[in-house]
Amino acid sequence: MHDQRLYVTGVGLVTAVGMTREATWGALVRGERGIRDIDLFETAGQRACSGGMVRGLSLQEALRGKATRSTDAAWSRSSIMALIAAREAMAQARVDPRAQRVGLVVGGTTGGMFETEGRLAELHDDPDSREALLEMLSHPLTSTGDCLSDVIGPFHRTRSLSTACSSGANALVIAATWLLAGALDVVVAGGCDGLCRLTLSGFNALAAIDPEPCRPFDRSRRGLNLGEGAGFLVLERSGDARRRGVEPVAELAGWSVGSEAHHITNPQPSGATAARVIGSALARARLTPAQVDYVNAHGTGTPLNDPMESAALALALGEEIRRIPVSSSKGQIGHTLGAAGAIEAGISALAIARQALVPTVGLVDPDPACPLVHVREHGRPARIRAVVSNSFGFGGMDAAIVLTEPELGPPPEQASRRIVVTGAAALTPRGLVDTEGARSLLDEAPPPKGVLIDIDLASHLDLARARRLDRPARIGAVVVGRALEAANGESPQKTRMGVVLGSAFGSVDASAAFMHRLFEKGPRFASPADFPNLVPSSPVGHVSIYLDIEGPSLATADLSVSGEGACAQAIELVAAGEVDVVVAGALEEASSIVERLLAVLFAREPDGEKLARGEGAGAVVFEAEDVARSRGARIVAEVAELTSWRDDARAGDPLDRLRSVAPPRDPSRALVVVPRRDPGLAALLERSAWTAVARRTCNTGAEHEALGAIAVAAAASELAGGHVKDVLVVGLGKGRGYALRLLAP
Amino acid sequence: MSMVRAARMEGASLRHGIKELIVRELNLEGRDPSSIEDEAPLFGEGLGLDSLDALQLAMSIEEQFGVRIPEGDDARPIFRSVASLAEYVSQHPGKGG
Repeated sequence: MHDQRLYVTGVGLVTAVGMTREATWGALVRGERGIRDIDLFETAGQRACSGGMVRGLSLQEALRGKATRSTDAAWSRSSIMALIAAREAMAQARVDPRAQRVGLVVGGTTGGMFETEGRLAELHDDPDSREALLEMLSHPLTSTGDCLSDVIGPFHRTRSLSTACSSGANALVIAATWLLAGALDVVVAGGCDGLCRLTLSGFNALAAIDPEPCRPFDRSRRGLNLGEGAGFLVLERSGDARRRGVEPVAELAGWSVGSEAHHITNPQPSGATAARVIGSALARARLTPAQVDYVNAHGTGTPLNDPMESAALALALGEEIRRIPVSSSKGQIGHTLGAAGAIEAGISALAIARQALVPTVGLVDPDPACPLVHVREHGRPARIRAVVSNSFGFGGMDAAIVLTEPELGPPPEQASRRIVVTGAAALTPRGLVDTEGARSLLDEAPPPKGVLIDIDLASHLDLARARRLDRPARIGAVVVGRALEAANGESPQKTRMGVVLGSAFGSVDASAAFMHRLFEKGPRFASPADFPNLVPSSPVGHVSIYLDIEGPSLATADLSVSGEGACAQAIELVAAGEVDVVVAGALEEASSIVERLLAVLFAREPDGEKLARGEGAGAVVFEAEDVARSRGARIVAEVAELTSWRDDARAGDPLDRLRSVAPPRDPSRALVVVPRRDPGLAALLERSAWTAVARRTCNTGAEHEALGAIAVAAAASELAGGHVKDVLVVGLGKGRGYALRLLAP
Repeated sequence: MSMVRAARMEGASLRHGIKELIVRELNLEGRDPSSIEDEAPLFGEGLGLDSLDALQLAMSIEEQFGVRIPEGDDARPIFRSVASLAEYVSQHPGKGG
């Protein structure tokens, strides 16, 4: 492909200052603030309660009469805002999902926590409330993509991810990798996050909220204000945009993602990782600091963020920082968490299109620790060629995006690398195994007595460093650590190594416990230490800190195929050259809420002794072949093919996607590995070219949503053992599926 | 233990109660509470706790002992050591029950 520039051809914004792109932009330039007392829910007893609320949201208005398969209850405020913003962006870019191959990437942190809190309040009063239990898991991160697909889809590929407060920026990075790989015509990418009691209480527990409208970069700043909103961008290759006659708003020229591996809530004071990420985003765009005319800062207004970010900008941009105007939009719209990176990338794109700066409202007396060229009070016209937009999340998940005028820099180079597997591990009720042992999970041994992981996790960890790791994070650290040990050879460079962990629902019971404590004792007694562990990206953040992994770390979610989704994400990141090595995995822990929900669903008494769902985790090391060879690692498998699909008649037949996988070279030495017995999957395989191939099912003794990662680990192990040469792993979930083919090297 | 009883605890037993709370709330697994010295600094050197630990400690001491701990710089001298925490708790009896 000769024309590989990535154009932003649509922007959609929903914020506390406007329900559309135009309304938001106008209010930002005029210096208006959307920060006021939050009245979406009871805030009595909260230390501080100002925030950027979006008022007047209505599902019926947002649907505009369109039918949706999702029930009204499946729509969270987050998803409604996402619909409005994504549709606005798609309308501007004149996207037609029936005529184009369109992908969707959604970043977020809380999903529908506001709605879930309502159900938790009912369960607090009546632990057996059937209605409340049935709706408890209605709003995972994936629910936004599923709801949107009905109304503005179909989408050929959908990804739900979280990297805490940089989620929205990471959604754009993933979109960029998809487009450069050429598999899709258009990607709609962004983030959404609604206000909720959990985040307000949690940030208050961390003493991180300013009781007054926030003051980024000001000497007297006392913290952030939460906000809510959604931002979506339409991205496509420049050649496609030109052919369609669609005008670019801006070019997405550079991006970079990295992990501080420092602390679960506090940023690295030196700003070294943020500076590295800003620098490599500019390098990716092949621009110099002299070409940057504006920085849209993360600028939360917390005492720790703003000086760290100022230091990072000085490190990355050198002397030019004395010239480049910097502003934060959070004084006007609040910190919209998982939406922030996308909303602010949208604002940055508009700054280029409109040739105007937006201000830092609330800044009166600049802190000498933040020596920047500030834009005060209101916006103003300016010559803007390139913009850097920063986003930093809990766990030290840093991202920087570079947007430019179209064709400012040279076109990006496409990386296309062969990807191999060098290590694998699984942690199940049958114990901890690695590349050598994981194939035993495909045997037909009698199941273990319990469905829980019963090894002593602590004995595999350095407790002095692991004390903040909750059970999911410990499971993650043990399984990822073992997979990396199995991938022998010289250690990869830690900034070129990443980790992706999938989980379907995140920490359900821990979130419920946090909320019950809140209902019981009031917001003053919300636990500051527990709060950061409730973000979906918390386990992966802990793992990056514990194992000192400094490349991208992100959490993905895809219901019962969360393991397969995480592997797909890792492969895409390595293939695109974002990073050399990514450990992909998934983990699930037992949940009393899920057990009670299953009991209601299947109309039986919950049985404390006999759990219906269990625990498990798998991890697989994917890396670029040349890197594996140069560090002398043993290659156990090659990634030959990866495909995924959504069960949507409008997007084609899943069977066609499975049929696109080449037939086995030698069926007698091939194997199909499936995570669980599934009649639908068996029927699909019967009609594929892999029907005559021996089939094995994961036999871990426990059903859960991470089985796909264990299946991939077991498949790699089979190839490592030399018994087979060609393995297809197929996972099927509700309305979605993945197929990954691995070959012996 | 009720807040009233906790608030009335004196001297050594109050200090031990605080040490147990530190080990429990900050997940110092395997650490014997009695091994924490009364005067040892809690932050930086010493136990090596950080600002997130300070917030968790403040919340749980308020919960267990029914006292109100000031925020920000005013809290620094209180969090110097187990002894200073105990002194603050004993001089600021809980509101009861």
